[in-house]
Amino acid sequence: MNGLLNVSSAPHIRSRLTTGKVMYDVILALLPASVFGVYLYGLHAFLILAASVVTAVLTEFVFDFLCHRPNTLSDGSAVVTGLLLGLSLPPTVPLYVPYLGALFAILFVKCLFGGLGQNVVNPALAGRCFLMISFSSAMSNFAVDGVSSATPLAVLNGGGTVDVLEMFLGFGGGVIGVSGAALLIGGLYLLLCGTITWHIPVTVIASFALAMGLGGEGGFHPLYLLAEVCGGGLLMAAFFMANDPVTSPVTVRGQAAYGIIVGLLAAVLRIYGSTADNVSYSILLCNLAVPLIDRVAIPKPFGLGDNKRKPKPKLPKAALALMVIALISGVALGAVNMVTAPAIEAQALAANAASYLAVLPGAEEVGYEDEVSAALESLDGTEFGRNTVNEAVVGTDASGNNVGCAINVTNSQAFDGTLSVSVGIAPDGTILGIAFTELNETPGKGMLCDEPAFKDQFAGINSSALVLGTDIDGVSGATVSSSSVVSAVNAALAFYNEFLK
Amino acid sequence: MALKSFRGGVRPAGGKELTRGKPIQFYLPKGDLVFPLSQHTGKPAIPVVKKGDPVLAGQVIAKADGYNSANIISSGSGKVKAIEARMTTAGVVDRCIVIENDGQFTLAEGIGTPCNYQDLTDKEIIQKIMDAGVIGLGQGVTGVPTHVKLTPAHPEDIDYFIANGSECEPYITCDEQLMAEKPEWVVGGLKIALRLFPEAKGVIAIEADKKDAIEAISSEIKGNGRIEVMPLKVKYPQGSERNLVHAVTGRKMASDDTPENLGCVINNVTTLAAVYHAVCMNEPLMEKGFTVTGDAVANPGNFMVKLGTNLRELLEAAGGLKAEPKKVIIGGPMMGMAITNLDRPVAKPYNALICLTEDPVEKADGQLTHCIRCGRCARACPVGLVPQMLAFYAERKDYDRYIKLHGLDCLGCGACTYICPAKRPLMQLFKLTKGTIAHNEAVQAAKNAEKEAATV
Repeated sequence: MNGLLNVSSAPHIRSRLTTGKVMYDVILALLPASVFGVYLYGLHAFLILAASVVTAVLTEFVFDFLCHRPNTLSDGSAVVTGLLLGLSLPPTVPLYVPYLGALFAILFVKCLFGGLGQNVVNPALAGRCFLMISFSSAMSNFAVDGVSSATPLAVLNGGGTVDVLEMFLGFGGGVIGVSGAALLIGGLYLLLCGTITWHIPVTVIASFALAMGLGGEGGFHPLYLLAEVCGGGLLMAAFFMANDPVTSPVTVRGQAAYGIIVGLLAAVLRIYGSTADNVSYSILLCNLAVPLIDRVAIPKPFGLGDNKRKPKPKLPKAALALMVIALISGVALGAVNMVTAPAIEAQALAANAASYLAVLPGAEEVGYEDEVSAALESLDGTEFGRNTVNEAVVGTDASGNNVGCAINVTNSQAFDGTLSVSVGIAPDGTILGIAFTELNETPGKGMLCDEPAFKDQFAGINSSALVLGTDIDGVSGATVSSSSVVSAVNAALAFYNEFLK
Repeated sequence: MALKSFRGGVRPAGGKELTRGKPIQFYLPKGDLVFPLSQHTGKPAIPVVKKGDPVLAGQVIAKADGYNSANIISSGSGKVKAIEARMTTAGVVDRCIVIENDGQFTLAEGIGTPCNYQDLTDKEIIQKIMDAGVIGLGQGVTGVPTHVKLTPAHPEDIDYFIANGSECEPYITCDEQLMAEKPEWVVGGLKIALRLFPEAKGVIAIEADKKDAIEAISSEIKGNGRIEVMPLKVKYPQGSERNLVHAVTGRKMASDDTPENLGCVINNVTTLAAVYHAVCMNEPLMEKGFTVTGDAVANPGNFMVKLGTNLRELLEAAGGLKAEPKKVIIGGPMMGMAITNLDRPVAKPYNALICLTEDPVEKADGQLTHCIRCGRCARACPVGLVPQMLAFYAERKDYDRYIKLHGLDCLGCGACTYICPAKRPLMQLFKLTKGTIAHNEAVQAAKNAEKEAATV
């Protein structure tokens, strides 16, 4: 025993677990989904994943190098971020999209905040949201091999039905990491080997399903709930993104509370919100609330006060202040809405009047006709599918001849909530034209419905019901918007044929 | 029925397989015997021998200074070589009595004569334990004198007397082997203790993987209605006072509470064996169970070793080193102390010498990353703290927040540090912070006292 002995503070043994091992476990768990995505979408999907991972790793390396910081690549967290980001992209995006996303995620979200463990929000998610905002068109283009198809969730939102099993397995279309089954295998692997605990995934999924059951279209129908849970990246979010240790609470109680809030918020955004990215935004918002949750959820030390009187639980001031601010702004918004509602309505009527003239060529003026108004009244709010007939008017030319009637219909299942369209129909049932009175779709996609290329297809058709793809070519990349318009026009035709013909 | 335990904790891998089941070797040292005067809580003992005095085995060489102190007994015969400052086991230079060992181990008069404890009064029993210099012999840096533990303010309120045989530290097996080979010592000691607490039930708590020990103790207590064996979940730190009380009784002990308040008295099984020897055999505390192990030791084993034995000599008794050790630990690897050299004596509160060829801490230092906030430390903490947050404030020297988050409740078990994937040196940070806070408080108290003195 000649060498010097090492002396250090206890404990003298350490578990085998390292940060690197945790990260490599996550990478391993993401492999089934990655392999499946590449199998499904081919080389381009692989290139997207590769571009994302390589950019993430290189960015971190260069940043460390330039800032004279120790090289942190071996902890594997950059690879996890790159892979997660890649998996959350559609398989069709150009390669500069994952490149920019990974660069943003690592440089702005992670490194500038201090690197591993110091970032406030999940880098992969922030990167994805950055891309959603910057390249919304590319980010929502799920067409592969030129075949445009709506994602199952979009179909579901459009009132259609989907094959849940197909969706769960990943054949329903969507992002590269679309396979719920593959993600679930990875998630279960992480749970079984103890890399993650069940608290966050289970609370996210359970609270989301509960909220969707209570407030969603399909209620507690199991197939509906399964479809909602399997769609929209919720599984990936629950197992891999909400569960990111750095941006989720430390304590078990905090994790459960956080999971419940993430799930509820995602459900609320999915039911009422207009973005398809509800889960991402929900997690990002909750990431920001983590320090607060951590403070509230500090456990009581073992035995404290058990044999004495208990201290009163206290809500921290920050939480109270937030509640008050939320309350005040809510009341203020409500008040403003009440004040402005009549004015908005009047404007809408005026806008409607203009649209009626636009869809009835040759009409000098439009007016209500008793017969038409009576028919409208007899509807008494009856809906045609997901459409509501708002108003119907008859147009007359300069000499007082009837040139047709115009019907204003609102569709409630457009991509971005509702759209309203006025449809002009000649006395012989031929469509004269359509004009939008309300259209808030995605710029560059859904908004293209307002272009003549799409709108003008309707004029001159005499049919009792139009079919998208046969009678009308949809706007590429805006399946939901297109089908909403067709659905609204069909409702107008149905109303016309039933009451006015 | 599920095994009883506590919330949190870790399962440090192995080490016990090196010595598990190896029979106890009674080792008689040849070299000098060194007895530090401070091996217990309370004041150091006062020497009652001088340089050159002849001593016999079992003779009191230093007397307890007050009720919270304990006698020091010579474990061998010979003559006093010196009373001088030497390196103690804990790595502090302190006064020690050095005895030149004549190798005869000649017993002092009256030592080793059997005695029936039923014939003694409670007071006589306590006196015998006190004279024998018995202190808590479990893992710990300081041992509370056993006669103090056995005389709580309200002995009639004690309804559980717990014999702690959990031995939850990795590598150490001497308690386990003692229970397996000499169950009559442990149970004998427990019976004497139960005499003092007529209302109490005796529970021998043993981690469930110590099958031989459970079997031996179970057959020893057969027919005794007051004593039961309770197997506990194998988990660290099962043997810590607060966790043990919870596992056995379901009662939750706060950090500022004592087991006595919850109706419990806890003693290590080795301590009970010493009580048995002191009362029934008239043998004061001269030897104790000790495990010499680690991958650098040629023949790891369990020993019954005379107090004062040089660690180097003991290591030779275990076959010496077969490889160059990088780290030597006295006590368990979770809470023990890394030592710089082996020229130290075996003192009362230590139970193992571990020689490792690899230093896991050195390796861990190379794997250090930022905290990834995974929360494993919070799940592992046996007292429900959040080490991640404590470390955050400790690193920033925000002592007020540290105290507010109950950082002073920390047991120092090291479970958080063991489990941390980012290899943060949490335990070290907490020890430093607790020490700094205590120091600051002492300084503040001294200042206040000065001020008061000035105004008066």
